[in-house]
Amino acid sequence: MASSFVAAFEILSFGAIIVLVVLGLGIIASMMGIFNFAQGEFVLLGAYVAYLAFSHGAPIWAGMVAAPFIVGGLGFVLEALIIRRFYAAPIVAMLGTYALGLIIRESVRGLIGGFYLTVPEPIGGSIDIGSVHISAWRFTIIVITLLVMGACYLLLSRTSFGLRVRATLENPALARASGISTPLIYGATFAFGAALAGLAGALIVPVFSLFADLGIRFLIQGFVAVMVGGVGSFIGPVAGAGVIGTLSAALPWIMSPVVADVLVFVLAIAFIKFRPQGLISGKGV
Amino acid sequence: MSAAKQAVADVGEGPDVVMDEGAVSVGLPVGQTAAGRKVLPIVEGLVLLVALVLPLVLQDYLTVFATRVVILALFALSFDLVWGYAGIMSFGQALFFGSAGYGVALLARDLNVTSIFLILPAGTLTGLTAALLLGGFLLLGRHPASVIFVSLGTLTGSYAADRLARGWYYLGGQNGIPSIPPLTLGSYDITEGPVYYYMALGILTVVYLLCRFLVRSQFGLALAGLRENEQRIAFFGYKVQHLKAIVFAVGGTIAGLAGSLYAFHEGFVWPNMLGVVFSTQVVLYVLFGGAGTLIGAVIGTVIIEGVSFWLSDNYRDIWPIILGVLLLLVIMFRPLGLISFVLGERERIGSFGARKEKRNAAP
Repeated sequence: MASSFVAAFEILSFGAIIVLVVLGLGIIASMMGIFNFAQGEFVLLGAYVAYLAFSHGAPIWAGMVAAPFIVGGLGFVLEALIIRRFYAAPIVAMLGTYALGLIIRESVRGLIGGFYLTVPEPIGGSIDIGSVHISAWRFTIIVITLLVMGACYLLLSRTSFGLRVRATLENPALARASGISTPLIYGATFAFGAALAGLAGALIVPVFSLFADLGIRFLIQGFVAVMVGGVGSFIGPVAGAGVIGTLSAALPWIMSPVVADVLVFVLAIAFIKFRPQGLISGKGV
Repeated sequence: MSAAKQAVADVGEGPDVVMDEGAVSVGLPVGQTAAGRKVLPIVEGLVLLVALVLPLVLQDYLTVFATRVVILALFALSFDLVWGYAGIMSFGQALFFGSAGYGVALLARDLNVTSIFLILPAGTLTGLTAALLLGGFLLLGRHPASVIFVSLGTLTGSYAADRLARGWYYLGGQNGIPSIPPLTLGSYDITEGPVYYYMALGILTVVYLLCRFLVRSQFGLALAGLRENEQRIAFFGYKVQHLKAIVFAVGGTIAGLAGSLYAFHEGFVWPNMLGVVFSTQVVLYVLFGGAGTLIGAVIGTVIIEGVSFWLSDNYRDIWPIILGVLLLLVIMFRPLGLISFVLGERERIGSFGARKEKRNAAP
């Protein structure tokens, strides 16, 4: 009983981490049609900001609060300077964002060297429920993920900004005709996606420690999750991330981790092959 | 150097513009237009000439490095064929390269097979099989595959293979398969050095000429159409998915050949050969040199590998950053790659099928 509870918690917390990472990726892919290869590096940057705050003696939570704003700001600048040129060609966008990611990753590698740097958890210790102990920080991540998901959903479905974003997604020409500044909306959406990645990076760095290839680990999982969930809506990628995260955390409990790792990808690609529109198709929120 | 290049560009592009119109309206046979049209054979000839004399002037360890570059150029060629000519974004080309490498390494380790006449066909077949399986799965079927799906599917396949190789004890795990014995021809060992270099160069030249024939044939014309406008090609009655699967398999075959050469040249294989590292590396080569021209792939490989070798002593840390910046600049401002500095648009597209004189003479 106790061990199955621990397993369930592990699966849930890993699923939450994947959802958090995929959220930004999914918003950019769905709302803008760009598969952002630099998203993993935005996660890395968020983690790096949290580490910087910690190493300069500031409280870690301050770094975690600052990370989304700094990474989001960078995303806004990059969109205006570079990403904007790629909207017409999705493949060129992939290559361009890959080059961007390469620059960011190698710069961070130059700054931190080849080390694995640890950052302590802002909320340490464990929560005891009867005889089982679960990590307080991982529990916090789950809670924050739920809050962020809810906030994103409300932002996109209930506010006028969300309406503008969705209008721009569905019919850019009509949106422009209605007086919506679509370039500004694209910039804001990209910055928002980058900010979510920055937040994800800052939150997970105590769990995974900081190293230059932190982002790559999540990037491909994130892409697969977005495709499984279905591009074009907010809910789709989140659902896909939930499925992929849960599967890749749950399967190693019942088979060898290597096989499980590969099996998740094979299953996902096969699923997309036979259902290209994903789990949840259709536009809207 | 840059001045010379500029001069070539001037000669190449200057008269080109004028002659283009003449060639279109009068319909001059291909062979009779101005010298400005013939930059490509000159570039190809120069590259081959330099490659031929290189081992005579280089020190031994540099010849070993040059051999590696030649093999990687073969690999780049395979990607160029798939992306530059058919417009299929194969972000997992290393899967075929690496699986062929692993395949021949296993042959050498477990069955003591090192004869070149068995190894190269075996590696080529491995690449072909892997490409047929993955390409068939991704490209064929009832739903036509989207560009995004194919690129992410190949990327995922390559990543999954990498993870599998890392975790599978039989394949050597993280360390890969070390100390592969040298390739043999009869009782003679082909060790690294000038002999291996010329062998690799010979294979590259033959494959290059075959590819050149392929992309200049009517099949190549269909591929170019596929790249430019898939729907229109479908309306013409071509089976688009089959065309794609065929060229994907050809690309995989060449990558397999390159992979088996690479495995025996380095003497070991390791998981990176299958994974995202090599897959993206080859994309960089081709984008940099110029996708859609065969020689662009070769030149891109030579430049990137050469500069990275040259800088690796002093600027090892910042080289990847420079590479990223250069790549971004190329993508943004020179989407046709470095080769477009000397090669005009018309010559890049070229002509297809039999020469006009022959066709006119035939009936």
